[in-house]
Amino acid sequence: MNDHKIYELFTFNNLELNMKTIKLLLVAIAITAFSNVNAQTAEDIVANYFENTGGIDNWKKIEGLKFEANVSQMGMEIPINMIQLKDGRQATVITFQGKEIKQGVFDGETLWSVNFMSMKAEKSDAETTAITKQASIEFPDPFLNYKENGFTIALDGEETVDGTETFKIKLTKKPIIVEGKEEENVVYYFFDKENFVPIATRSEVKSGPSKGKMSENTFSDYQEVEGAGIYFPFSRTMGANIAPDGQAPSITMKTIIINPTVDAAIFSFPEEEAVPATKDN
Amino acid sequence: MKNIFFFAFLALCIFPSQVNAQEDKPINPTDLFGDIRARHIGPAVMSGRIIDMETHPTNPRIIYAGTAGGGVWKSNDTGATFNPIFEKHAQSIGAIELDPNDPDNTVYVGTGETWTRNSVSYGDGLYKSTDGGVSWKKLGFDKSERIANIIVNPDDSNEVYVAVLGALWSDSDERGVYKSSDAGATWEQILYVNERTGAADMTMDPNDSNTIYVSMWEFRRTAWSFESGGEHSALMKSTDGGKSWNKIHNGFPEGQLGRLAIAVAPSNSDILYTVIEAEQNERKGLYRSDDAGLSWKQLNNDFGITVRPFYFSRITVDPRDPEVVLKGGLSGSISRDGGKTFKNLGNMHSDIHDIVFDINNSDVIYSGTDGGVYRSWNGGTTFEIVENLPLSQFYHISLDDAEPYNIYGGLQDNGSWYGPSSSSGGINAGDWKPIGGGDGFRVLKHPTKNIIYSEMQGAQNVWRYDVDRELVKTIQPLAQEGHAELRFNWNGPMAVSTYQPDRFYMGSQFLHKSEDMGDTWEIISPDLTTNDPSKQQQADSGGLSMDNSGAEKHTTIFTIAESPLDQNVIWVGTDDGNVQVTKDGGKTWTNTVANIQELPKNIWTYHIEASVHGKGTAYAVFDGHNSGDMKPYVYKTTDYGETWTNILTDDIIGTSRNIQEDYENENLLFLGTEFGLYITLDGGDNWGKFTNNVPPVAVHFIDLQKRTNDLVLGTHGRGIIILEDISPLREITPDVLKSKVHFFDAEPMMLSDKQNVFAGSFGAETQFVGQNANTTPQIKYLLPKRHTFGKMILEIQDMDGKVLKTLTPGKSKGINIVNWAGTIRQPHIAKGKTLAFGGFAAPRVAAGTYKAVLKKGKDTFEQTFEIVNDDRSGLSDADRKFKHDVTMKMYDMTEELAYIVYQIDAMIESPNTKSKVKTELNDLKKTLVITTGDNYVGSADPELREKMADLFSKIVGSYDKPSNNEMANLKTIEDRFNTSKVTFEKLKKKVKDVELKSFDTFFKD
Repeated sequence: MNDHKIYELFTFNNLELNMKTIKLLLVAIAITAFSNVNAQTAEDIVANYFENTGGIDNWKKIEGLKFEANVSQMGMEIPINMIQLKDGRQATVITFQGKEIKQGVFDGETLWSVNFMSMKAEKSDAETTAITKQASIEFPDPFLNYKENGFTIALDGEETVDGTETFKIKLTKKPIIVEGKEEENVVYYFFDKENFVPIATRSEVKSGPSKGKMSENTFSDYQEVEGAGIYFPFSRTMGANIAPDGQAPSITMKTIIINPTVDAAIFSFPEEEAVPATKDN
Repeated sequence: MKNIFFFAFLALCIFPSQVNAQEDKPINPTDLFGDIRARHIGPAVMSGRIIDMETHPTNPRIIYAGTAGGGVWKSNDTGATFNPIFEKHAQSIGAIELDPNDPDNTVYVGTGETWTRNSVSYGDGLYKSTDGGVSWKKLGFDKSERIANIIVNPDDSNEVYVAVLGALWSDSDERGVYKSSDAGATWEQILYVNERTGAADMTMDPNDSNTIYVSMWEFRRTAWSFESGGEHSALMKSTDGGKSWNKIHNGFPEGQLGRLAIAVAPSNSDILYTVIEAEQNERKGLYRSDDAGLSWKQLNNDFGITVRPFYFSRITVDPRDPEVVLKGGLSGSISRDGGKTFKNLGNMHSDIHDIVFDINNSDVIYSGTDGGVYRSWNGGTTFEIVENLPLSQFYHISLDDAEPYNIYGGLQDNGSWYGPSSSSGGINAGDWKPIGGGDGFRVLKHPTKNIIYSEMQGAQNVWRYDVDRELVKTIQPLAQEGHAELRFNWNGPMAVSTYQPDRFYMGSQFLHKSEDMGDTWEIISPDLTTNDPSKQQQADSGGLSMDNSGAEKHTTIFTIAESPLDQNVIWVGTDDGNVQVTKDGGKTWTNTVANIQELPKNIWTYHIEASVHGKGTAYAVFDGHNSGDMKPYVYKTTDYGETWTNILTDDIIGTSRNIQEDYENENLLFLGTEFGLYITLDGGDNWGKFTNNVPPVAVHFIDLQKRTNDLVLGTHGRGIIILEDISPLREITPDVLKSKVHFFDAEPMMLSDKQNVFAGSFGAETQFVGQNANTTPQIKYLLPKRHTFGKMILEIQDMDGKVLKTLTPGKSKGINIVNWAGTIRQPHIAKGKTLAFGGFAAPRVAAGTYKAVLKKGKDTFEQTFEIVNDDRSGLSDADRKFKHDVTMKMYDMTEELAYIVYQIDAMIESPNTKSKVKTELNDLKKTLVITTGDNYVGSADPELREKMADLFSKIVGSYDKPSNNEMANLKTIEDRFNTSKVTFEKLKKKVKDVELKSFDTFFKD
């Protein structure tokens, strides 16, 4: 047992949080205490994660998610909305100067984004589309139904991340095709040993100029989604280690809506705008 | 509730002792470094030594490079760019092997370079990755020091052979050939000769995985000699998977043998090549067998084939043509007639250690040299360098106080250089300037003049370079009558003085002092070394191949330190273990090393740091690795060496190389070892390894820049690594760790007016570009625990509490650093058909006092700090105020226009607006914002919004106050805006029953 952690919990912990969180943390203490008697398995850690963030039954009820958020990048704050549905449909809507610009929209078959120059919708390349489609099954969390999805998980040791002791879990998903070649699809998750929520991920960048570099994301500000009993990280940073100026872009959630009402039309590729004269289908 | 307290009670009961013990828990710095993250600035222009190259058996895009001191790098693009993939383990690499049955995932790395030059580092065992290099597990061989080859049986991935060259500096029985039958889980030593003889090369018959060839090499290095060869060197063959071995020497030269290379032609496994180091020069060279080793015939003993076998002993045979043979060497050699004749490979950096062919195309060759990886597209005639391998191997560095400050240093086989700590667009190859030839070591800037001192090996030349006039002269101390012949170390010490700018010191076995920048020299000490004649026989060094390069020169001075508190106090450390001090400017000297009782005798005094915290205070760093002792040794004295205290703890691993003290907090120390950087906050009671972007690379020298508090590491394999502003570390105490949030002292922070607008990224696609220093204000605080649950935000407020900017706070345990550009949010911009790019400009705050407000759950923590203007740009306070007022006026105008356009849109959309009025509104709108076109060349002509935003952006983006030109333009825009507002107000009166949000509500949404 890590005595340090217990001490810290009672001195520095987030006692300002609601009682539910305290309860979670105390459960986590009990579990952590137990863990050093009986070795943790990856399955235990993932089970604890879902238990501590709302219960697996609640997680399984999620059909769709809407994130209203701000992206901070290079000193700018950009409001975005992200919608993700269980069937893989998704959209990110960026608001620039009152104009909504859609990026990474997927209707289940076609992935498209609005070109910033022409302001018209353009389809993404076939490989990126295929990878997006393949990732649909990860909704709302890659660890939910990971077995059914053909993923494997393994405890790959422990590591200190952000000064915090974590369990390192290797999540192996199905291989993806990048630049015509099949590539392993592995993400390492770092679960805080104290409360079993992931606080960071690490994975290899598979395409683009950073291909081959390791990218690290972090998660914090876990809070209960109002009325849903599920905890989500309300703050994330992305790729701090590969950001050219060392400052990671971050996303801060304003609200998260579980099972939002969504107009299906927002996902469809606006064919008539892109090819007004010669529709070929 | 009951349950909660029960749990808490239970937890406390189970671990009461530990909870109590916590009170006295020492500070473990490792967890506290948080956002202090090192930046790498290379350089890569001269790259660094490559040991082993490896191709992927089926994917020609993938190339691996194992380096002398910079870890393992992988290319996914046939060598156009490489990425480091071995960042947490020993950086000195001996061998890389991909499992031929699972090459995408299973990779073995044997650590410890096998080209055993004097400055060679060492490894700590064998590693395996099963995910293509993303993560690594150690497979033992802790004492192997150097691994020469790894072979995975292509017929059975569980069978792995490892050739361990083993210890260079000492006896060791962890050498020879090892075999695993369970993919590395367990190992059996299947070939062992003796404690001085290791496996130097190994290969497998591509047609018969039971046939293995191994060369055994008897070798030994000391700090003062090298010996290659002996009775036990041999070429061995096994045909039963390593159960039994036979010497295959039929046709070999008589007598002792040295280092042997072995290669099998992949396209005809009866054809073998070996390079033999023999007693007689005529019998050295390339030998060939056409009967799988039954007999050998000597073919060639050109210089290119026989040169320095300990450094060059690699044969590569074209995978498609057994007659095409390549040999590593000073220039590298290629034969197209089966080894009878050779010519040099095309021009590239000298010292070629390994060569591989592309798996499909023999025109494509990759070469690993002392200066990085080179590619040839025409079978080895011309080569081009890979430009993004920052593997430079610094022996020593120094800094100046320019702005940005420069870093000076010398490199293994790559001369001496200096370059800036920041540069327009990032620090690229062109920013580095050569300042010395040969092998480079110490480079020092004259304290006041634009003059740089540099040197080459053995102080054969010490250069004084007048930078402004581009004049060079050599100033090394020459032999003087009445004194013994001078002995300079390979890496000869020099020092400048903080008291007399023209003073310059050098060390041979004597301390030399010049008061005129090296034109006149005075010897101010007796021989300060042991002067042990048994360590001065370098003319006999090398073993079978004489190797008297000067690299083994011994019984010399290695480090000189003048006390920053008293110019008469000078410390000198010698390579044979003395720690000498004078308190009277050199008249009398005392050897204090005997006062360190527990220190092994005569190990290298690698560095002495004379302290700013006390005249008699100094640190001495010792390096025993060249007697086989890899333990670190650092001692502190406060009484001129009469007593010394060990300041290291047992958890520090790797030879100690350098220590740097903080100039303010005596308890804050930085230690460089063979395996990275360690930091103590309490004078050495506890050390933490710093790993935020600092791999376990050999840190040969550390310096602390006084103005910026940047800690600069000169590494021997990863170039220059910088930890920006270490000042927060000065404040961390047990008390600070008890606070919920601790803000670090904030000096007034300047909003720099400097701009790098013309910094191109030309060549940056494939060229290494070093990361620049941060130039923005930063909010720095310490969290005793990571913030994971609950909301946490960071606001910048003015002193009235108005929120100017919301920032994403760091959540890490330990030090958090949040950059703030000094800007408020960009203005809201009227919605048009396209974007107004000028509208992305965000104005800066005026100089003054501001608050950083950290809201963590229900708690709020605050720090006030000062923002000051950049006084270098020559603006008066009145200019600044004028600029700020105009900027904010335009900011408000921009938002006002945005609100008007919102109202127009709302009125147009409303069914309650009459169509005639809608038309009028539309007409007005067309003059306010762009309503057609796109964001590129299909753009419409600019309207009011675009003109306003462009001028706003122009003024915000300028360092200067608004010009008359700009003010005149503003007047035009303002007039037009006023006219539009009048029109709008008239139209607004014609519209009824349209619900409009207030100004504040509209922007809040």
